[in-house]
Amino acid sequence: MLGWMEVHGVYLHFPFCVKRCLYCDFNTTTGTLEYLPEYVNAICQEIDLVASSLSFPLKIHTIYLGGGTPSLLSVYQIDQVLTRMRLSFDLARETEITLEANPGTVSFNYLFGLHQLGVNRLSLGIQSAVPAELTLMGRIHTVEEARQSIQDARMAGFDNFNLDFIYGLPGQTKANWQQSLDFAIENAPEHLSLYALTLDDHTPMARQIADGILKTPDDDMAADFYEMAMDQLAKAGYQQYEISNWATICGDTSRVCMHNMQYWHNQPYLGFGSGSHGYSQGVRTVNVVPLEEYIKRVRSDQKQVFPLSPANEIRNEIGETTRMQEAMMLGLRLTDEGIARSHYILLYQQDYYEIFHKEIDRLLGLGLLEWVEDNQERIRLTRKARLLGNQVFMNFVGDA
Amino acid sequence: MNDHIRNFCIIAHIDHGKSTLADRMLQMTGTISEREMTDQVLDSMDLEREKGVTIKASAVRMNYIAKDGKQYELNLIDTPGHVDFNYEVSRALEACEGALLVVDATQGIEAQTLANLYLALESNLVIIPVINKIDLNSARPDEVSDDLTNLLGTPGDQIVRISAKEGLNIDQVLDAIINRIPPPGGQGDEALKALIFDSHYDSYKGVIAYIRVFDGSIKTNSMLRLMATHTELKPVEIGFFGPDLRPVSELFPGDVGYVATGLKTVSECRVGDTITLVSNPANRPMPGYRKVKPMVFAGIYPVDGDDYSDLKDALEKLQLNDASLIYDPETSQALNFGFRCGFLGLFHMEIIQERLEREYDLNIIVTAPSVEYEIVLVSGETVHIDSPARFPGEEQIAEIREPWMKVQIFTPTEFYGTVMELATKRRGIFLSQEYPAPNRVQLSYDIPLSEIIIDFFDDLKSRTKGYASLDYQFADYRPDELVKLEVLVNDDPVDALAAIVHKKDAYHKGQRLVTKLKAIIPRQLFEVAVQASASGRVISRATVKALRKDVLAKCYGGDITRKRKLLEKQKKGKRRMKMVGSVEIPQDAFMAILRLGEE
Ligand SMILES: Nc1nc2c(ncn2[C@@H]2O[C@H](COP(=O)(O)OP(=O)(O)OP(=O)(O)O)[C@@H](O)[C@H]2O)c(=O)[nH]1
Ligand code: SF4
Ligand SMILES: [Mg+2]
Repeated sequence: MLGWMEVHGVYLHFPFCVKRCLYCDFNTTTGTLEYLPEYVNAICQEIDLVASSLSFPLKIHTIYLGGGTPSLLSVYQIDQVLTRMRLSFDLARETEITLEANPGTVSFNYLFGLHQLGVNRLSLGIQSAVPAELTLMGRIHTVEEARQSIQDARMAGFDNFNLDFIYGLPGQTKANWQQSLDFAIENAPEHLSLYALTLDDHTPMARQIADGILKTPDDDMAADFYEMAMDQLAKAGYQQYEISNWATICGDTSRVCMHNMQYWHNQPYLGFGSGSHGYSQGVRTVNVVPLEEYIKRVRSDQKQVFPLSPANEIRNEIGETTRMQEAMMLGLRLTDEGIARSHYILLYQQDYYEIFHKEIDRLLGLGLLEWVEDNQERIRLTRKARLLGNQVFMNFVGDA
Repeated sequence: MNDHIRNFCIIAHIDHGKSTLADRMLQMTGTISEREMTDQVLDSMDLEREKGVTIKASAVRMNYIAKDGKQYELNLIDTPGHVDFNYEVSRALEACEGALLVVDATQGIEAQTLANLYLALESNLVIIPVINKIDLNSARPDEVSDDLTNLLGTPGDQIVRISAKEGLNIDQVLDAIINRIPPPGGQGDEALKALIFDSHYDSYKGVIAYIRVFDGSIKTNSMLRLMATHTELKPVEIGFFGPDLRPVSELFPGDVGYVATGLKTVSECRVGDTITLVSNPANRPMPGYRKVKPMVFAGIYPVDGDDYSDLKDALEKLQLNDASLIYDPETSQALNFGFRCGFLGLFHMEIIQERLEREYDLNIIVTAPSVEYEIVLVSGETVHIDSPARFPGEEQIAEIREPWMKVQIFTPTEFYGTVMELATKRRGIFLSQEYPAPNRVQLSYDIPLSEIIIDFFDDLKSRTKGYASLDYQFADYRPDELVKLEVLVNDDPVDALAAIVHKKDAYHKGQRLVTKLKAIIPRQLFEVAVQASASGRVISRATVKALRKDVLAKCYGGDITRKRKLLEKQKKGKRRMKMVGSVEIPQDAFMAILRLGEE
């Protein structure tokens, strides 16, 4: 079993939104703000329950408040949650504390308040700098509001923030995308996430496409947009460290998202809140989704064996083989560092090039994988494979 | 001496309610307890239950105490209604003296109603017309009754009206069986003559021959001889169907039952053969059956070459219960080692495919069905070829002949025009029309079989809102201008994608096929060129562009399991595709030629 001392990340989920965006199939709700106070209480209770099932305070070095729209919580409520976290866990001095926020839900005062509380990383869901695209996506904010939120964040003291963008929208042109890229570069965030639009069939946008109201997004176009981004962001001084993520790295200050790295490195994290995911002690857990059900389960107050929670709906023990497979599937997303063999051997007592010899050789042959250096110590995706990740990853999962 | 026996079968068009009527009779006679009863209880195969269709005929003995107080032994044979399994009906008829002709009160007479009726009349059976589903609102029993009177001359009051589903008037059916169908006749002291009308394979008891005893009797210790194959055997067991195997010590003249032969191959115990006694053999066998010939051929290949021997075993086992399935080893450049299989029709083919996939858990590729061509070579020699891949070069061919069918289409008169149009489009030659009932017309054509196997039936159904039905029999071979349509993938011809088409269709079929293949073949890591050509000329080409984007962008709050599951699913899908050269081709592509429908 994994060592008890491993440093964990913590993900806190807040499934509340003002209005559902037209492409969204995430675990979130609208018109449920009346539950928010109870929910915040419940999430604090869950943190306490799980943390106190250990006889010592667990070491934590990242906290991520995601959603949904966590910026719908008041400063007071954020304080309540972070205070609970500090009481329950042993937070590293430099703990990365990220909050996802949507422009249009944050004011300068609010952001200032957050920064005072110790939130040190902000992730702003900008999505696009083209007004028509924001409308198409059903976003609640304007480009102007986005610009304002960024300024406010800087003023409030944030020196580490991320902007989220979506590309590959129906009917999106190169000029449109260029506009968003320009906006991104102008505002000089420390971190950028660019996500290719992926639509679940049940989303309103997918239905509009099926009905012929919107154009089918063109994969080749999306691939072109991705290339544009890779080129221009590199020029602007960003380093791409993951398939969808870029960060500034100046001397010792790397702005890669430590919380996300926890996932890609297959390292443990706890998930709190409805529908949140956790991975610790070799068990992957998923909490129940419906708000009331979640609150009810937490109130049952039944202490479990760490890292379990009464709110878990799914608990999956990850076997040795799956663990090693997942390490490949996740590690290969790191487009710069890839996976180090020595590190892998340290964690799993086996060499991935031995286990997956056939697959790796084939993928090297297809030009989808490459060794970072000549000594075959690190393997990673080639540039052209960054957008073909699935074609690579699938070779490392399931039955041989 | 066997006045108490009645042997009859139930015949009808597909879905008119044969098996449901059998259910009610089994219930009324207490043959099957309420506890064991399910809908269509005689449809015991998984696939039959799932599709709600009878595939194999089944026999069962019932004991019934009639109104006259006497006890009767009723041997019922339920038959399939689908045209592909028509031979099962002809076999069953030979074991009977009477037939219940079931007609759906909402649908009326349809193509297989007539086809099966004529078969029964040829075998001199007494016909009892039964109108079923009178419980339905849309039932029009009076009309259907008049139609039947016109067809058979049976007065209306002798046509039984029932609801098999609700169990209405089933006693009238049983009474009619007893009163109108003659007892079997036959003499106990004559030399044994028992006709094998069906068989199945049992891994413990060997081939189980379904028999009808005509003369003489069979005892457990009789030494038996199969007259055609000269095989001699002592039965492992004899008995009747209840509907499971129920052993008895003797089977008498007129009885329907079984002989468990202990034989391990069906070829030693052929359906249609006559069983007699070694000690006192009959002079001549019963007339037997015409051998059924497969009409439709397709290649079956394992997706993974390592499964070849499993596929072979599975086909062998299926054939034990289904002698109409034939298979021979075949090698394809594109698909490697597999089998060329012959089927009675498309439905039969579909069933074999599903059974291989489900019962034997095999991952297979089935190529588009083809008919058997008769080719006269320049050398003067005539060859039979059932696979486009094995067609000789055009320069060697003097003439190509293809099988033509006699086709009867039964339809409400309002669809006359559209049916005519369909038949003409499919190179049909109109022969005649008859009006067996007011508002109903039966149109007869000659149509090439190759045109019928390419969604003719679906097209017919959609043109006639589902009202038309279809029956066909082999007519003869006729020459026509046919060409081989070849498909090249990245410049290599893929033999398994080739098709034989009429010269006048080659161009537009080639174009549509390429369009279809372009849509079916997924984008790969490199560009894939698809071409169709005929007589050495390229008709159409298209390019499947290289794949550029295939990645899950986001990880929702650490949901790794979902990511892994999606990738596993994608990997499984990839595995179901066949590698042809370096190109992955999905199963659908091999059937594309069948689905060129107008869009
Ligand atoms: N309403 C109604 N439905 C019936 C009646 N008899 C049969 N059915 C339904 O008709 C369908 C076909 O019945 P089956 O008994 O399977 O028909 P079949 O003639 O044996 O069909 P095949 O063996 O496939 O040719 C089933 O859904 C039955 O439930 C009836 O009297 N009334
Ligand atoms: S803000 Fe995010 S979570 Fe909320 S509806 Fe929009 S996309 Fe979904
Ligand atoms: Mg049936």
